[in-house]
Amino acid sequence: MTRGADSGAFLGSARELQKQMVDRYYSSLQPGNERKPVAYMLVGGNLAEIVRAFGYEVVFPEIVALTCAIKHTSLDYILKAEAMGYGLDVCGYVKNDLGLQESGGETVFGKIPPPDLLVCSFSGCYVYVKWWEALAEKYGVPLVTFDVPYMRGPTPLKEDMAYMVAQLEEFISKLEKITGRSLDRQELRRILARSRAAEEGWVRFLQRGRERPSPIEAYFEAVFYMFPINVLRGTQEAVDFYEAVNRDVDRRIAERQYPVPTEKVRLVVEGVPPYPHYRTFWDFFKSWGAVSVAATYPKVGGLFDRGFLHDPARPLESIAEYSLGAYVNQSWPLRRAIIADYVKEYEADAVLIHGIKSCRSFTAGQGDLRDYVSRELGVPTLYIESDHQDPRYFAPAQVKNRMDAFFESLEHRRAVSHAAGVV
Amino acid sequence: MVGGKVRGKSLAPVGVNIVQDAERSLELALQDAGIPRERVEIVAGTGYGRFKVHFGQFVVTEISCHAKGAHHLFPKTRLVLDIGGQDTKAIRINERGEVVDFSMNDKCAAGTGRFLDVCANALGYDVADIGALSLTAKAPMRITSTCTVFAESEVTSYLSRGKRPEDIIAGVHASIANRSISLLQRAGIEPEVTFTGGVSRNEGMVRELGNRLKLPINVSPTSQYVGAVGAALFATERVEAGPR
Ligand code: SF4
Repeated sequence: MTRGADSGAFLGSARELQKQMVDRYYSSLQPGNERKPVAYMLVGGNLAEIVRAFGYEVVFPEIVALTCAIKHTSLDYILKAEAMGYGLDVCGYVKNDLGLQESGGETVFGKIPPPDLLVCSFSGCYVYVKWWEALAEKYGVPLVTFDVPYMRGPTPLKEDMAYMVAQLEEFISKLEKITGRSLDRQELRRILARSRAAEEGWVRFLQRGRERPSPIEAYFEAVFYMFPINVLRGTQEAVDFYEAVNRDVDRRIAERQYPVPTEKVRLVVEGVPPYPHYRTFWDFFKSWGAVSVAATYPKVGGLFDRGFLHDPARPLESIAEYSLGAYVNQSWPLRRAIIADYVKEYEADAVLIHGIKSCRSFTAGQGDLRDYVSRELGVPTLYIESDHQDPRYFAPAQVKNRMDAFFESLEHRRAVSHAAGVV
Repeated sequence: MVGGKVRGKSLAPVGVNIVQDAERSLELALQDAGIPRERVEIVAGTGYGRFKVHFGQFVVTEISCHAKGAHHLFPKTRLVLDIGGQDTKAIRINERGEVVDFSMNDKCAAGTGRFLDVCANALGYDVADIGALSLTAKAPMRITSTCTVFAESEVTSYLSRGKRPEDIIAGVHASIANRSISLLQRAGIEPEVTFTGGVSRNEGMVRELGNRLKLPINVSPTSQYVGAVGAALFATERVEAGPR
């Protein structure tokens, strides 16, 4: 049972379903169960549909790591990796995973099987390559790197697309060799159709944040619901899940059950959550009646709400577009534009940025982003710093102090302008 | 505070028992004001220990309080620099004294009053005396470590190399000023600048900051109490607004 389990009555059956789904997934990986070969992949721009079409199950060590962190067990693995010689500056996800592998894959939520295949989608993070190389060396399994060019403009370039599709064809022929079977293109289309249906349901959920009051928590809650869009994408289970979630949101509106009883501040949130202190961080929001109406992080697995959907009619092209469109693969001007659009479309009052020490891909540039939002857009912005994986970098009193001061100042200013309006 | 004017004050170090220390501070302030406890209408808690002021009716962060207090003392203030024992804040405010934006040091002691304490001790001085001492510096040293522990050993090594304490301490001030200025820039530099918190009592720091900013800096004789003044003003507003 995680501490986040009672994170709010409004979550209702959706959160319950999500927990059951996560449990089912990890039990399916347990030794003794008849299980498929396992492909390790990275979330950003992943190729889940293709490996699924070849009969692999997908494991995302980043998601395993964040699950360890949210269950307060990441530090053990991190310390183990540090004892192996990984320095303080190495990303917490990497250290969590390598410490975990060294511990035989044992976690409090089950044993993580070793990889049979390593697929490294290199989108924005160089650490990925080194991490996957370390795993390849440890397990001696095939490593395939998929190089995703950085997105410099809002739509993919023709050359980039050609490069990506060529790599996908090459990837497919490699998998055909490794597995000894040829790709069933019909099956790939069926998987892609299910991916798209799940993506559409997920986008419908995320866009409910436009309503006032928002019936969803677009950061903390959405993070729970990212699991199927990343881990189970391409399965019917994921499609059904988002339908159930959307039904649950309708129920909330009918019963007037909202993430905070009285919505006072609508936030756009940028950045990876401080998973080891997830509950504490969320509570800080709740204590000020603040709700996230849109967030960038739940889109690390795909910017589906910006149109990067899988399409069974254009299998490889749409996979290429999806991978190019990964959030951290976007240039900073594009990331700024996304945030500016969210502020407008979701009628947000403020932007909260959470920077993490571990990750340059996500965090470098957030200082400029803060200046852009507060000075150019004129929207109050708060920048908080800790880590997504390493509990040692979260100072609760200081984080709370900053958040209190920020929300306090929003409240004071609002009270004054309200009074001025009344006069 | 009575009718918007400070009637009594007290300043006391906070130890492990914050609840008791806060109680004692209140008693001392009341003695100073000559007011019996029964006449206290409302108490606000502020600072890191704000939730430990159990006898208070509400809490406000010291960021809002320094903004309000500085604005009360110097109404044209648009930027407040507060350097306290454990953190440094740059707070940009509007014409009503409300916080528009703020920036704070990382979660470490670099650039705070604690940094100054440690360096003063390493030199064998009391922190209260180093401000005046630094004004006599001829060739300030350069302190490159931002980490308090490393800076302490840097100070000691300068000393063992025969460097003069005033030059070393001027270097320490310059290092804090540099960090403060980067925070001020993040919040947005705008005159007038008001300097608050314990470190504002140090004239060497005030001069160093003024030289670098090329702006006059307001410092009130009661600059250590600015946060408390702000809290009292918030409390006064509540009393005036009547029961809700
Ligand atoms: S550095 Fe960032 S993008 Fe790379 S693995 Fe770590 S968290 Fe992920």
